[in-house]
Amino acid sequence: MNAIPCLTIDDVASLDAVLAEFLKKAEAELTVVIDRGGNVISQYGDMTVMDVTIIAALAAGSFAATKELARRIGEVEFNALYHQGNGSHIFMNSVDDDTIMITVFGRRTTVGLVRFYSSSTAQSVGTLLKGLSREGHGFSFDASDVTATPLFSDAG
Amino acid sequence: MSIINYASREIQFKIVYYGPALCGKTTNLGYIHQRINPENRGDLVSLATAADRTLFFDFLPLNAVVIKGFVTKFQLYTVPGQVIYNATRQLVLRSVDGVVFVADSQWEKMEENVESFKNLEDNLAKQNISIDEIPYVIQYNKRDLENVAPVNYLEYVLNNRKRRMQSFEVVSSTGQNVFASLNAVSQILLHKFSKQSDAPKTPPAPVVLPVDTPEGATV
Repeated sequence: MNAIPCLTIDDVASLDAVLAEFLKKAEAELTVVIDRGGNVISQYGDMTVMDVTIIAALAAGSFAATKELARRIGEVEFNALYHQGNGSHIFMNSVDDDTIMITVFGRRTTVGLVRFYSSSTAQSVGTLLKGLSREGHGFSFDASDVTATPLFSDAG
Repeated sequence: MSIINYASREIQFKIVYYGPALCGKTTNLGYIHQRINPENRGDLVSLATAADRTLFFDFLPLNAVVIKGFVTKFQLYTVPGQVIYNATRQLVLRSVDGVVFVADSQWEKMEENVESFKNLEDNLAKQNISIDEIPYVIQYNKRDLENVAPVNYLEYVLNNRKRRMQSFEVVSSTGQNVFASLNAVSQILLHKFSKQSDAPKTPPAPVVLPVDTPEGATV
């Protein structure tokens, strides 16, 4: 049987606490923790402004694409990336080999402040996630729990 | 790798459409995006060149309630088919849970199909995933064209492994069997994680679903 890695309600609460503290200090709008395959692990902040799933997929791609660029100048990868807009900006930093943290922020704050607090937040998030993988809890379900009807249909 | 969040009661799976250049991977996602109930999908994101060829990937998030009490998010990706973009294909395959291999049925594309399948195997192996373990289905696309190879020949060339997979005759431009193949890979994927997958069972006989099968039919 294959089990799906899972975040329990307590795990999510612990991650949320770290991310909430970060958003408050950095005065950013939204922060998302993703794996390098583009899956969302945790998110906190104002999620009404954008589709977090798409942000995660594109951010994972962006981070991976620049890894090769980093190699050309003798780095393993860039630890952080910053995309500057006119009013909204994105800062991404590496948490560990499998995880990235994305922060969206606006005019209320500065990239320096976000960068400063994201570094210690990434460390805390990394420690939390390591703890989860050590505990190794996974989720699986009964075959009868899966719907028998076609999952997706042509609505026309 | 899929991940489940108990707080939001969500499960995420990543499905990648893989195949040679111009075989119809993006067309598959375009059709699904166009026809599925808008409440169950996000935006289709395409990172393409000026000539409309996939440069990085296409991405389409879908939602479905398929496991009791959980919203299941399927994230559909395509890879760039052109040979030179192999590094990008490796990136997109990272954490993959299921694959739809899209083959071009035209005779002159046979070599490219075989190369692309081999490339899929190699790229999965780099992530320590065996093609024999990952859930996948095969599409024989462009069945509406005149110069297509017969299905039994395609089966012999691309689906001749110890574990033979479900395959579908597809016309992605009109949507024939596009949903059927998506549903098939999703079901295989879900059952991989169900508790009954512990039980030894005889694998189902491979079935090629012909083009004229009604859309959405279970297989």
